[in-house]
Amino acid sequence: MTTPRKLKPVDAVIIGYGWTGAILAKTLTDAGLRVVALERGPARDTSPDFDYPRIADELRHGIRGELWQPLAAETVTVRHTVNDTAVPYRKYGSFVLGNGVGGAGVHWNGQLWRASPEDLGLRSHIEQRYGKHFVPPEMTIQDYPVSFAELEPHFDHFEKVCGVSGVAGNLRGTVQSVGNAFEGPRSDQFPTPALPAIYAAQLFEKASSELGYRSFPVPAANSSVAFTNPYGVRMGPCNLCGYCERFGCFLYSKASPQTTILPILADRSNLEVRTNAYVTRILKDSAGTRATGVVYIDENGQELQQPADLVVLSAFQMHNVRLLLLSGIGTPYDPVTGKGVLGKNYAYQMFGVTTAFFDEEVQINPFIGAGAAGLRAIDDFNSDHYDHTKQGFVGGAMIYAGGTGGRPIEQMLLPPNTPRWGRAWKAAVHKHYRHSAPITLMGTVMSYRDRYLSLDPTYTDKFGIPLLRITFDWHDNEYRMAAYTAAKMEEIVRQMKPESQATLLLKPGNHYDVRIYQSTHTTGGAIMGTNPSNSVINRYSQSWDLPNLFVYGASAFPQNIGYNPTGLLAGLAYFSADKLKTSYLKSPAPLVSS
Amino acid sequence: MNGKNLLRLAGVAIAGLAVAMAISYLGDKAAGENVSFTPERNADLIDRGAYLAKLGDCAACHSIPGRPAFSGGLKMGTPIGAIYSTNITPDATHGIGRFTFADFDRALRYGVADGHSLYPAMPFTSYYNTKPEDVRALYAYFRYAVAPANIPNRVSAIPFPLSMRWPLTYWRWLFAASPAPFTTPPGLDRAQAQGAYFVDGLGHCGECHTPRNVFMQLKAVRRTDGAHYLGGAVIESYFAPSLRTEGAGSLRDWSEIELTQFLQTGANSRGIAFGSMSDVIIHSTQYMSEADATATAHYLKSLESKDQSDASFTYDPNSHKALKSGDASAEGARIYLDNCAACHRPDGRGYERVFPALAGNAVVEATSPESVVSIIFQGSATPRTSQTPAQFTMPGFAWRLSDFEVMQVANFVRSSWGNRGPRVTLKDVERLRPGPG
Amino acid sequence: MAAVSRLIPTEGAGPGAIEAGVSEFIDRQMELPYGHGSFFYLRGPFHPESPATLGYQLRYTPREIYRLGIEDTNAAARKIHGMDFARLEAAHQDRMLESIEKGLLELPTVPASTLFAQLLENTREGYFSDPIYGGNRDMVAWRWIGFPGARADFTDWIDQAGTEYPYGPVSIRGTKA
Repeated sequence: MTTPRKLKPVDAVIIGYGWTGAILAKTLTDAGLRVVALERGPARDTSPDFDYPRIADELRHGIRGELWQPLAAETVTVRHTVNDTAVPYRKYGSFVLGNGVGGAGVHWNGQLWRASPEDLGLRSHIEQRYGKHFVPPEMTIQDYPVSFAELEPHFDHFEKVCGVSGVAGNLRGTVQSVGNAFEGPRSDQFPTPALPAIYAAQLFEKASSELGYRSFPVPAANSSVAFTNPYGVRMGPCNLCGYCERFGCFLYSKASPQTTILPILADRSNLEVRTNAYVTRILKDSAGTRATGVVYIDENGQELQQPADLVVLSAFQMHNVRLLLLSGIGTPYDPVTGKGVLGKNYAYQMFGVTTAFFDEEVQINPFIGAGAAGLRAIDDFNSDHYDHTKQGFVGGAMIYAGGTGGRPIEQMLLPPNTPRWGRAWKAAVHKHYRHSAPITLMGTVMSYRDRYLSLDPTYTDKFGIPLLRITFDWHDNEYRMAAYTAAKMEEIVRQMKPESQATLLLKPGNHYDVRIYQSTHTTGGAIMGTNPSNSVINRYSQSWDLPNLFVYGASAFPQNIGYNPTGLLAGLAYFSADKLKTSYLKSPAPLVSS
Repeated sequence: MNGKNLLRLAGVAIAGLAVAMAISYLGDKAAGENVSFTPERNADLIDRGAYLAKLGDCAACHSIPGRPAFSGGLKMGTPIGAIYSTNITPDATHGIGRFTFADFDRALRYGVADGHSLYPAMPFTSYYNTKPEDVRALYAYFRYAVAPANIPNRVSAIPFPLSMRWPLTYWRWLFAASPAPFTTPPGLDRAQAQGAYFVDGLGHCGECHTPRNVFMQLKAVRRTDGAHYLGGAVIESYFAPSLRTEGAGSLRDWSEIELTQFLQTGANSRGIAFGSMSDVIIHSTQYMSEADATATAHYLKSLESKDQSDASFTYDPNSHKALKSGDASAEGARIYLDNCAACHRPDGRGYERVFPALAGNAVVEATSPESVVSIIFQGSATPRTSQTPAQFTMPGFAWRLSDFEVMQVANFVRSSWGNRGPRVTLKDVERLRPGPG
Repeated sequence: MAAVSRLIPTEGAGPGAIEAGVSEFIDRQMELPYGHGSFFYLRGPFHPESPATLGYQLRYTPREIYRLGIEDTNAAARKIHGMDFARLEAAHQDRMLESIEKGLLELPTVPASTLFAQLLENTREGYFSDPIYGGNRDMVAWRWIGFPGARADFTDWIDQAGTEYPYGPVSIRGTKA
């Protein structure tokens, strides 16, 4: 390619216009900066892209993935161990990647959790409670360099931006009689009341209460009433439409950048959003001490250079790491020597599901309910909410009841002995579709010395640029955690008194399987920490290497939590945005001395 | 009639025509007042002018997206052919850069520019009452604060002989109000007078909300002209509702605060702007000062009609009960469930300032079927304003519903939850179905 | 495409794939970018010997899988039964599909289990997707399982959870049943 044409410099360039890109676009344009946001995918908005009833199309959105990143152009490669040859993730399965304005924030489920206080200071907490040797040597977990108390105002703000529905379990330190008793203290109630429980969740609620657990509404970024957020953006209430996860919301109810932040940015003269702009590298000055802008390929295939004083990297977790690797920023992690930090501590989430099959009198109606809406959960076995002394593992899982939709192609729940085809299958879909309910565990995954991200030596994207390579498989700690929490989950399901029940769970010997959708909650690779030797960014999401580069998203998580990550990553972004506003923009410099 | 007589008659006709044209020519020349004024570059005056240009919604016709502000070019369909709005930037060649103050005033209030009468698409019949100090402010604004745009005007696509403009002079003489600066109408308090100044003048509300006669003349331009004044009118495929306090569902049921909120944001608990009112909110009324908006609401609430039925809307829960229990046997009920209920809810109550309630909604119940049918066909988008940055869009359903189904569902919403709108006929629906594209 | 009628047969209660228009669905899908493989990363090198858990590792697009798979299956059917798969009686077809599903039948190009997975996936898609794509004709499959399709509104069921949902389905185009 020829030398990229140099465009007019701007104050800041944002790479990726999803949740954190939108948050930073607001912060920076509020401060008067001239900002360009580069989004690899197309422009998208509620209308016409998610218009009713065309959005209600499982094949187009749920299966073919209209809103997802087209893998043909770029994917990742996967291998289980350091010694294997990675092969491409050719078809969607294990996780789905966002694309376009709003990113995965368009087609997420909307479960909006905060991390537990214990999750943030994880290593210190575990070592203090169970002793220095409780954490096995291959486990490379570390504390987040920021506390729950510091993040709380930002969690609270983001929940208000999203019109989250829920009920507080701990208000200013007082554990309430409702809500999640295990959550960290909140400064305020949820902005909108909890949505009523769907039927599967009601049965779960009753069963768990009989067993002595207190279930509570899953915090849902689906407003339950018409609501105006702190930016003056109004949202509509959720009607449990069933088209949430993998879909854009036609009701303006599910929080997405489009329904919460972008409306106030639309007319800002100091913000320009360029879509179909594929960033290929971040540029550094000759001394390698500052970012000077980015290079991207526009929709006509032309390579352009956008100089900027400040670079905000706010793409999806994997893309953040890939771009840092491609740009030569920081030292790539070496799993053999343990040196380098870029790509380190890739983690995922542990998944398990018990399906309750009821008789035909029990009307589960799986198509009612959406994403996070109407779900109920228990948090007793998540994080370090229970004594691990005798468990021999770190972490846990949140257990929630109710499906994310009743989409018949993908979400048909049938007993495991059902034939996959023929007359018996046809009879089974009739018998079970309306009368089955999934109870799911979403479990923590710790980080390990041999689980990491790097550039693939062989495979490239459509421009010939190396793909990101994932080296990942499960460790015993996670199998043990899953077995323990799944037993609790199965006990509750038994109490729900279904006709039968079946559990899908990973056991030792089951390798990471990319064919089955599990979770898009991939984390790490550009983790945050206290110093350049243990992290890529500091507590304010600022790069240790280039102080005018900030990196946002779940790539910052040193290990993964047992919750959906959006609440935490948005909290970290607002925490950083606040520091930018009060300090960095006034005098750009390293915000933590290294 | 022999050939000679025919020739003679033709001669007389031509002579008559020539006289008529000459008179119109002279009439146009003589229109307006010969006042001279050269504005200073006074920031306050210019700001006032900018504000008034918004109240007058000049941009609605003279600005189009993607082109310099006020450079014209908006295509407006008329029964006799398309006309295009003109460049009103201070460009000396194509704009109004050479206009003296008197020229400007003549165009704004008298409907005459460059020596000929303007099409009454330019609402000079409403702008007629603009106070001299406000005309001066507008002039200053357009002269100093608008960037000149060297963009030629497009000629109208009206075929000869209809393209001759001289008959417009006669139209103007016959139908346009005599321009006169605003004076407080008798019997109004100060705030009402302030509202009336906007409503009758720059706001040109009557251009849509007052019915016209066969000559396209507004049937009423002042409150003293009778009940036609702002009494509601069909505008293309929509019905611009009455702005008088009349029966149930009219502005009678709106408080002044709600009305003010509507002007400033296009939405309140009673409804959401649609059709061209959406543009009016976006480009004009959202910018109204609190005082002007309140005064306008105050004034409109003073317009009482004799036709005040006592009945007010009472919600009837039975329509909803039926739907909720699985009974969609009522005409159009199933169509409602399959197309409308997801947003407007089975109880017809919608979500305040998101998806309007259909129950007790004056637009749904209006005697004229235009708006309800057109919205079903074409959809609608709420106005985005500085106070309401989120825009809610209803997609059109023309592709999904047959005329018969539209009739059925329109009748369902007009007769459910206590609504009492008259029936929509299939003919109405067929007439209102938008053409392809 | 005779196989789809065995995967979801007409016999027994409920609609079969044929009545649901699944064959037409698959034919149409194969003409779309999906059929041509545009949804997949299909750059080499290819390592079909990779563990199954790492997912699809062949070079073929869905249409190629069908073209090659059907050729191979017919060849196998001719070898065993002396005629093409489509002409076999239902019981023989079922038995052959079983051995394809379990990978017991060795096909020379596309592995039998890959062919079967593709076929089963597309058959279910055609059975349960919106009729706009040619399958699920008259929403027969939605009616069979009690899925309301594109209605996407359950406001009235938020406070009456557990009751039987009374309404039939509606499609994207607005047809109702």
